[in-house]
Amino acid sequence: MTGERDQHRNAGRRHLDERSLRERVTANPRPAILWIAGLLALLALELGTIAGVTLEAGSWIGTRTTGLWERGGLSRVALLAVALVGLVGASGRLSAIDRFRVTAGAGVDAEGDSNAAVDADTSESNESRVPNTPRAVDTAVIAALVGTVVVLAIWVGAAGLVRTVGQGTLTWIADLPTLTAREVISNEGYQTPDGTWHGTFLGLSPAVAWALRVVVIYAYALLWVGWVFVGYRWFRTHYRRVEWTPRDDVVDRLRRHRWAQFGMVVVFVFLVMALFAPVLGPTTAEADLYGPYSHTFEYYDQGSGSVEELTVGEANLETRSVGYEAENVGPMSYDEYDRFHPFGTMPDGSDLFTFLVAGARISLVIGLLSVGLSGALATVFALISAYYRGLADLVLVVTGDTVMGVPRLLLLILLTVLLADTWLGGLYDGGILLAVVLAVTGWPYLWRSFRGPALQIAEAEWIDAARGFGQSTTVIMRTHMLPYLVGYLLIYCSMVLGGVILAVAGLSFLGLGITAPTPEWGRAVNLGQDYIATTSWHISLIPGLMITLVVTGFNALGDGVRDAIDPKADDSSSDNASNARGGGV
Amino acid sequence: MSERAARVEQPDERGDPLVVVDELRSYYESERLLGGKPVKAVDGVSFEIRRGETLGIVGESGCGKTTLGRTLVRLEEATDGTVRYDGTDVTTLSGTELKRWRKNAQLVFQDPTASLNERQTVGAVIREPLEAHSWGDPHSRRERVYDLLELVGLAPEHYYRYPHQFSGGQKQRIGIARALALEPDFLVLDEPVSALDVSVQAKILNLLSDLQAELDLTYLLIAHDLSVVRHVCDRVGVMYLGKLMELGPSEELFSDPANPYTQSLLSAIPKPDPSAPFQRLPLRGTPPSPRDPPSGCVFSTRCPLKIRPDIEGNHDLSRAQWEAIDRFREVLRERDLADVTFVERLRERLGLSTRFTPIPTVAEELLGDVSFPDSVEAALSRAVDRAAEGEVSAARAELADALGGVCEREQPVRHDVGEGHSSRCHRHLEAYADADDVLEGEDGVGGVLEGL
Repeated sequence: MTGERDQHRNAGRRHLDERSLRERVTANPRPAILWIAGLLALLALELGTIAGVTLEAGSWIGTRTTGLWERGGLSRVALLAVALVGLVGASGRLSAIDRFRVTAGAGVDAEGDSNAAVDADTSESNESRVPNTPRAVDTAVIAALVGTVVVLAIWVGAAGLVRTVGQGTLTWIADLPTLTAREVISNEGYQTPDGTWHGTFLGLSPAVAWALRVVVIYAYALLWVGWVFVGYRWFRTHYRRVEWTPRDDVVDRLRRHRWAQFGMVVVFVFLVMALFAPVLGPTTAEADLYGPYSHTFEYYDQGSGSVEELTVGEANLETRSVGYEAENVGPMSYDEYDRFHPFGTMPDGSDLFTFLVAGARISLVIGLLSVGLSGALATVFALISAYYRGLADLVLVVTGDTVMGVPRLLLLILLTVLLADTWLGGLYDGGILLAVVLAVTGWPYLWRSFRGPALQIAEAEWIDAARGFGQSTTVIMRTHMLPYLVGYLLIYCSMVLGGVILAVAGLSFLGLGITAPTPEWGRAVNLGQDYIATTSWHISLIPGLMITLVVTGFNALGDGVRDAIDPKADDSSSDNASNARGGGV
Repeated sequence: MSERAARVEQPDERGDPLVVVDELRSYYESERLLGGKPVKAVDGVSFEIRRGETLGIVGESGCGKTTLGRTLVRLEEATDGTVRYDGTDVTTLSGTELKRWRKNAQLVFQDPTASLNERQTVGAVIREPLEAHSWGDPHSRRERVYDLLELVGLAPEHYYRYPHQFSGGQKQRIGIARALALEPDFLVLDEPVSALDVSVQAKILNLLSDLQAELDLTYLLIAHDLSVVRHVCDRVGVMYLGKLMELGPSEELFSDPANPYTQSLLSAIPKPDPSAPFQRLPLRGTPPSPRDPPSGCVFSTRCPLKIRPDIEGNHDLSRAQWEAIDRFREVLRERDLADVTFVERLRERLGLSTRFTPIPTVAEELLGDVSFPDSVEAALSRAVDRAAEGEVSAARAELADALGGVCEREQPVRHDVGEGHSSRCHRHLEAYADADDVLEGEDGVGGVLEGL
C-alpha cells in the first residue's frame, strides 16, 4: 500500500497537481455538486430556524446600533467605523485573492512572478514581490471606493431600506415550518376519557411524541456530522492535491480510539442539547420557567368533563416534587394535567428536562468561555515565561501568585458584585460576567501547570535551530512550543471545565452567579439537595450525573485528541513500520 | 580524501577570509541573583576561516567550543570582541539585518533527534527556513525541499514522514538539509557525527565534504574526536577552557604539535602499531571550572611541561616533590571554590566534622612523605596554617607567590611556530624552551619538544 503510494508520489513529483481547487472541482464536479446539494437539503430542513436566528441577531444588533446613532455625537464615529471595516474587509479580500493566485502557481496573470520563484533563486523570488506594489495601490483605491459607497448608503438611508426588505423576507422565511419545530411533532395535548390524545402529533401519546422529536432532532444532527465527514472523505479522494497528509493519521487514530469516541458521543449529545434546547424539552423554558403565568395550555378536566385552559404557573403549583409521595412527579411520568415529564419535575413544579436542556446552553457557554479564556491566558503566559525567562517570568510569577494568594471565593464574590451593574454583568443573565471572572481568577492555576512543561520545551534544540534561521518568536512559540503544550492544555482544561460548572453552581447557590429563573445545572443540584434522600431524588441526582457525564466526556475527548495528535502514538501499530523507513542511511 | 591533501599543500591560496573572529568573548551570566562569577565559555579567541576551507575546533568537553560555534551563528550573544562575516561585524546586527544575515550562516546540531521537532513532518522541518524568509511561493518551496532531500541522499517521498521514522544518520541528513535550505555559505557543524553510529559517521562526513565541494561551503567543524578532525579539516584549532591554545594546518598540527596541551591530547590517541615509539604525556586531573579559570596560562594546573620557578637557594625540586605540591595546591583550589554553607563554616570553626577533611590532615597525607628545602617547607606550613584558620584563598595566594612560576603569573601570548601555525605557551620563549627539567624520568619523551 504505502509502497504504491510512494511510487505514485515519486512519479508525480515533477508534475505535481498544480491546478487550483476551483480547477480541480471543475474537472470533476459530480461529488462537489452532490455534496453541496446534500448540504442545501440539510439547511432547507431548518431554513425557518436559521432565518429566525438571523432575524433575532439582526434585530439585536439593530437596536444596539440604532441606540448608538441616536446619540448624535457618536454617529460620526459609527460611520467612520463602518468605512474602516469596509476598507479592511476589501483589502483582506484582495490579499486573499492575491494569495490564492500565488498558490495556484500557474495562474494566468501571475505567471511571470511564480515562474521566477520556481526557478529556485532567493534573490529572484525577492524581486518577484516587487510587482505586487501596484496591486497594493489597487487595493487601497478599491477599498476607498467601497468605504465611500458604504458611507453614502448610510447617509441617504439606503441601509434602512435594505434592512426593511431583508427583515420582511427573513420574517416570511422564519415562519416556514421546519423539521424539528415543536409544532411539527407536538407533544402537548390532552387525553379524553376514551383514551385518545388530542393535539399531539398523529394522536400519539405525549411521551412517544416527545421521544420521536428527540430522535428526529438527534438524527438530524447526526446527519450533519456524517455529511461533513463524507465531505472530508470526498475531498480526500477527489480533490486533495496530495494523497496523504499527517492530518489523515490524526483522523485515523481518532477512529481507533474508543475512549475518545465515548467522549465524542457525550460531547455531541451535550452540544446538540445546547443547540436545540428550545425544541428538545417537552415544553419551553419561556413557558415553564421565565413566564409561567403568561403562558397557558389546555387540559381535559375530569370534574367538569371539558377542556379547560390554565396558566402554566397555576398548573405547576400542583405538580411540585417536594419529597413525599403525594407531591412528587418522578422521571418518565405524567402529571395530573397530562403533561409528560421525562426527568420528573422540580420543587416548583416546572419540568426538570426542560430546565436541563435550557441549562445546557448556559453551562456550555459559561464553561467553554471561561475555560477557553483562562486556557488562552495561561498558555500565552506560559509560552512567554518559558521563552523569555528572566524578568518576564518573574513578573508573571508574581502576578499569578498574587491572584492565587487572594482567597478565590472572596475574589469571585467581590468581582461579581462589583461588576454586576456594568454592561458586562447584563450579558446573558450575568453568565458572561461569571465566565470572565472565573477566567481571570482561574488562569494562574492553569498557567502553573503549563509553565513547567513549557520551560522544558523551551530548552529543546529545535528551538535553537529555528532561532538560527531567523524564525520569528511568535512562530517559534506557535509551531515549536505550543504543540507540545496542547496535550497538557486539553487535559487540564477538561478537568477545569468540571470545576467551572461546579463553581457556577456554587455561586448560584449563594445567589451570586446565575439568578433565579435562569436554568443552570448547578442550581438544579442545589434546589434538590434537600430531597436527595426522598422520593424526589431525581432533582439533584439527574443533573449531578449529567454534570459528571459531561465533564468525563470532555476529559475523554481531550485524552483522545491528545493521543491522536501525537505522531509517536502510532508507532507500534503502524501496519508497515519497516516499510516506513527509507532504506539506507 | 586525496582532494583534502591537495588543499593542505597550498592553504594560503584558498581565498580570502570569510569569517574573522577577533578577541571573541562569550560569558554566561551567573544564575545567582547577586554576585557570582560569569562562566567564561569563550575567553578571547581570535582566528579566521577562509572561504571554502574546513576549520576544525577540538577540545575536551566544557572547553567552550560549542559556545564558540553558537556565538558565530548568533545563537549566543558575544560579550566582547567581533565576528566579521564578509567584512560585516555580525555581533552588532539586530532586527531585520540580523534575520537577513542568518541566511548566510547555519548550524548543524550534534544530536539530530533533539534538533528536529518531532511533531513536524520532514517536509515541514526543511521548509520552515524557507517560510521564515518568505522564499518563493508554496509550490516552489515544496520543490526546493524535494531537491534538498535528494541533495542529502534522502528521497522526495520522505516529505510526509516524521523524524522518528528515521535512523540517526537519516535524521542528521534532515538536519543538514534544513541548514542548507537557505543556501548559506558558512556552516557551523557542532559535533555532527558524535551522536551517530561509527558505521554511519563516515557516510555523513563524506556527505558533508561532497556538499562542500558541490556548494562551495565553508565549514567550522567542532569535534572532540581527533580522528574525525584529522580526516576532514584543512586547519585545526585546539581549545582549552575558553582559549585557543594552538591553531595550525591539520597535518602539521597532528604530526608536529607545538602546544603541550595538544601534545597531551594527541598522546591519548592509541596507536595502531604496538611497536611504534610511544610518547606518553599524560593529562592529569580534570579541567578547572571555567567560572574560575587559573591565573596566567589556563592549562597551568594540568600542564606536564609547566615551567617551574627557581626556588630560593637555587634548589631544584624533583618531579615527585613538585607533584606532591601540585596535588596539595589542587586540593586547596577545589576547597576554595567549593560552595561552603554557613552551617559548614560554623561546624568547621567549632571543630565538628564537616564533609571536608581538615586541611592539616590533607597536608600530612600529601606532603608528609616528601621532604622539601627549608624555604619551600616554610611556605607550605604557612599555607597549611592559613588554610586551617579557614582562609583558604590567602593560603593559595601564599603558595602561588612562593611556588608559582611564570605559567601562573602571565598569560602566554601567541607565538608563530610555523607557516600559519601558532600556539600559546611560555615554552616558546627562548628562556624556557628547554623542557628537560620537568621531563627527566619520563619514559621516552625525549624528542617530544624538539620542534619548539
